Amino acid sequence: MGDFITEADGLETQEFILNLGPQHPSTHGVYRARLIMDGEIVVSAENKIGYLHRGIEKIAEGITYAQFTPYTTRFDYVSGAMQPWAWCLALEKLGNTVVPERAEYLRVIVGELQRIASHLVMLGSMVLDFSAITPWTYVFNAREEILDLLEAVSGSRLLVNYFVNGGVNADIPEGWAAKTEAALDGMLKRLDDFERMVSGNEIFLGRTKGIAPVSAAEAIEYGITGASLRASGVDFDMRRDSPYSVYDRFSFAVPVIKGGDSFDRYQLRVLEIRESVKIVRQALKTLPDGEVRAKVAKVWRPAPGEAYAATEAARGIMGYQVVSDGSTKPYRVHMRSPSFCNIGIIPAKAPGLTLQDFISFIASLDFVLGDIDR
Amino acid sequence: MVGFLTTIFNWVQGFLGLPATSLADALPWWDILWAFVYFVGAIILLIINVIMLIWIERRAAGFFQERVGPNRVGPFGLLQTINDTIKLLGKEWIMPAAADKLVYLIAPLLIVTVSVTMYGLLPYGPGITPVTLNVGILFFLAISSVNTLSVLMAGWGSNNKYSLLGGMRTVAQIISYEIPMALSIIGIVMITGSLDLGTIASAQSHVWNVFVQPVAFVIFVISALAELTKSPFDMTEAEQEFVAGYHTEYSGIRFTLFFMGEYANLFSMSALGVVLFFGGANGPFLPPWVWFIGKTYVFILFMLWIRWTFLRIRVDKMMKFNWKILIPISLANLLLTGVGIKIWQAATGAIRW
Amino acid sequence: MYGLGLLKGLGVSMKRFWMPKITEKYPEVQPKLPERSKGSFQYNKDSCTSCELCSMACPNGVIKVEWHKDESGKKRLDRYRMNLGHCLFCGLCVEACPTTPKSIDFKRDFALGCWRKEDIYRVWTKEWPAAESAPDPAAPASPSAPAQGGN
Repeated sequence: MGDFITEADGLETQEFILNLGPQHPSTHGVYRARLIMDGEIVVSAENKIGYLHRGIEKIAEGITYAQFTPYTTRFDYVSGAMQPWAWCLALEKLGNTVVPERAEYLRVIVGELQRIASHLVMLGSMVLDFSAITPWTYVFNAREEILDLLEAVSGSRLLVNYFVNGGVNADIPEGWAAKTEAALDGMLKRLDDFERMVSGNEIFLGRTKGIAPVSAAEAIEYGITGASLRASGVDFDMRRDSPYSVYDRFSFAVPVIKGGDSFDRYQLRVLEIRESVKIVRQALKTLPDGEVRAKVAKVWRPAPGEAYAATEAARGIMGYQVVSDGSTKPYRVHMRSPSFCNIGIIPAKAPGLTLQDFISFIASLDFVLGDIDR
Repeated sequence: MVGFLTTIFNWVQGFLGLPATSLADALPWWDILWAFVYFVGAIILLIINVIMLIWIERRAAGFFQERVGPNRVGPFGLLQTINDTIKLLGKEWIMPAAADKLVYLIAPLLIVTVSVTMYGLLPYGPGITPVTLNVGILFFLAISSVNTLSVLMAGWGSNNKYSLLGGMRTVAQIISYEIPMALSIIGIVMITGSLDLGTIASAQSHVWNVFVQPVAFVIFVISALAELTKSPFDMTEAEQEFVAGYHTEYSGIRFTLFFMGEYANLFSMSALGVVLFFGGANGPFLPPWVWFIGKTYVFILFMLWIRWTFLRIRVDKMMKFNWKILIPISLANLLLTGVGIKIWQAATGAIRW
Repeated sequence: MYGLGLLKGLGVSMKRFWMPKITEKYPEVQPKLPERSKGSFQYNKDSCTSCELCSMACPNGVIKVEWHKDESGKKRLDRYRMNLGHCLFCGLCVEACPTTPKSIDFKRDFALGCWRKEDIYRVWTKEWPAAESAPDPAAPASPSAPAQGGN
C-alpha cells in the first residue's frame, strides 16, 4: 500500500462508515459488511448477517423427517443437490439403514456434478465482480450443460430433490450416462477457454495475487473448511481422510496450494473441478446394478437418540446434528454450515485492503447467504 | 459538396442572365450559411453515430458472449436504440432537492457541446472538413479536456457522496492519461511537421504512421481507452462498486445526453486515432469519407473487443501504470523520434520545414 | 513477455465471436425439456380415491382435498385444491399417490405466471372446468413410475 499518498502535516482526515450491502451487486447474497474506511482503505470490517434467516431449523421440528428433506436443499441453494446428503447420512445413522450400492454410486455421481456446477458459479461470480462479463457467460454456459443433466434425472435444475432417506429418489433415465460424458466434454472445453482468458490475464493477477493471504495456522484457527482451507496449504479433505459413502473406491487427487491468497483460492477450485470430472467418469464406468432405494417405513419412527453426519460439500464441511425423541418429527436439527464458519476470517483480514480488494477477498471465499443465515 | 452547390448557382446565374460573380461575393451571408450547414451536419452525424454505435456495441457484446444481441425490434434489432431513446425521453426528471441547481443542469449540456465541437475538427475528406485550423491537434486536445469539467460538475452537483467520489476518480483518471496521449501525439507531429489534422492525414500517403511509430500507437490506444473511461479503465462507472458513478442522479433526457456524450467521444477519439495513425481519409476507389468512416468503425470495433474481454484495473495500479510506466515510455519514444529525425535529415540532407 | 495473457484472452474472445450462438428464440421456439421436468400439475379425477395421502405428504400444506361419503360409504371427491404459491415442487405428493395411473402428477408446463392472485390456486371439481385443469396432452403417458434398476 506504499503507493498511496500519505497525508501532509496538518491535513485532517476523518474515517467514515460504509455499509457494503445488503443490497449490493457484488456481495453474494444479502450480506452486509460494516466497513470503517479511511479514504480508500478499510480500517475495520464487521460481518452483519441475518437478512436471510428463515428459521428452517425450527421448521424442522414441525414436519416429519421425509418432509424436511426438500427443505435441506434450500440451505445452500447454489449447490442444491448435495445438501441433503449429510441429512440422509444422519438419518441413516439414526435408523441403521443400509443404502444399496447402486444408490451410493448415483449419490456420488450427482454430488460431484453438483460440486462442479457450484464451483463454476464461484468462478463466474468472481470475475463478474471484476467486470469481466464475457468469461462469466462462458462459465454459466458450461454450467447449463450440467443443469440439463440434473433436470433429466430429477426434474429440477437448481433445487434438486434427489437424495432421500435410504437411497435416491429414482434411477437415471435411458442414455443419461452418454449424455453425461458429452456434457462433461463440453463443460471442460468452455472451462479451458475461461482459463485461457482469465488465469494468465495480467490484470486479473494484479487484482488477486497477494490479496488477503491466509496462512495454514490461521485457517485452522478460524475454522475454515473446504477449498479455502486447502488453498492455504492444509491437506485435509473429508472425501479422502474420513471417507463416507463409496469415496474410498475412487482414485482422485486432492489439490493443495500453499499460499492462501485470492488467486490460490480461485486456482484451487479450477483444479477441483477437473478432479471431480475424474470421479464422475470412474463412477459411471463402474456403476453396479441393483436397487436405488432401501425400504424405509412410510411413517418412520427412529429410536430416540442423536446422530451427526458430515460431508465435504462444495463450500466446506457441512454437518447435520439430528436429535430424535422417538416420534415422527425430529426434536432438534442443527446444521453446521461451512459458509458461516468461513466468514469469520473477514474481520481479521480486512484491515489494510482497499475496497476493491475487499470485494476480491469475499468473492474468493465463496460463501452463500442461505448457508450462513439458514 | 461546395462544388455541387457552386455548379447549381452558376447554372441559375446563367439561366437568369445575371453577371458572373462568385458565390461568396454574391451572398454576404455565405459563410454563415455554411457554418450553419456544418453545424447541423455535425449534429446529425452525432445522432446517427450514437444510434449505430449503441447497436454495434450491444450486438458485438452479445456475439462475444455466445448470444445474439438485440434482435426483436426491427430487422436485426436495428431500431432498438430508437426504442430505448423514446423510453428514456418519457422518464421523470428527478432532481435531488439539495442539488446545486445550476451546476447540476449545465453538466450534461456541456458534454454534448464538446462532442459537437470535436466533430467539427475532423478531416472527413479533402474538401469536406468543417473547420480547418492550423493548430488542429492542440485544439482537439484542449477541447476534450473540457469533458473533465463536465464530469466534475455532474459529481458535485448531485450532492451524493458516491457521485462525488466517482466524479473525482474520473477526473483524476482522465487528466492523468492525457499526458501520455499528448506525448505520443507529439511524436507524430514532429514527423509530419504540422499540427493540422488534414495535413497529418495526407502526409501518410506513402506509409501509415502506425508502422513508423508503433510504440506511440500502443500508448495512444491505452490512453484513449482511459480517456473514454472504457474497460479496463472503467472503475468510475463500476456498478459493482459505486452504482453508476457521477451520473447516478440523472434520469430521462439528462442521462441520455451523458450516454450520447460517451458514444460521441468514442467516435471522435477513434477518428483521431485513424487520422493520426491510419492515414485518415486516404484510399483507392471509394470516396474519401467512406474510407474515413469505415476505418473509424474498424478502430471502434477493436476498442470494443478490448473492452469486452478484459477486467477492471485497480485504481492505484492504474495510476501507477500511468505515471511510472506509460509516461517514461512515451518520453523515451519521443527521444528516439527526435534522434531518428535528425539522423534522417543528416542522411538525406533535406530540410523538412 | 508481459501482456501474453492479455493477448491470449483477446484470441479466445475473438474465437467465440465466430462460433454459433446458443440463444433460443423463445416464445417462438419452445425449449425441449426432459421427461421428468417438474412444471405444473395435472390431476386425474377418475383415478383419485380421495385418500388424502398426498395432502399428508406435503411439507407445506399445499393440497386440500374435500370429499364426502355417499350412500354406499364410498368417498366421493368434491374439490381438489392446490396452492401453488406455497409449493416447493418437491414431488413428495406424487411419490405418495398410491393409484395407477397417478392421480396427481407433474406436467412440463413451466410458464406459471398469472395476473391475479386467485389464479395461483389450481382447483379441480367434479364438473371439470374446461380450460384450466384439463390434463396436458403433451405429457408422457405413464409418468414417473418408480424405476427399478436397469440402465
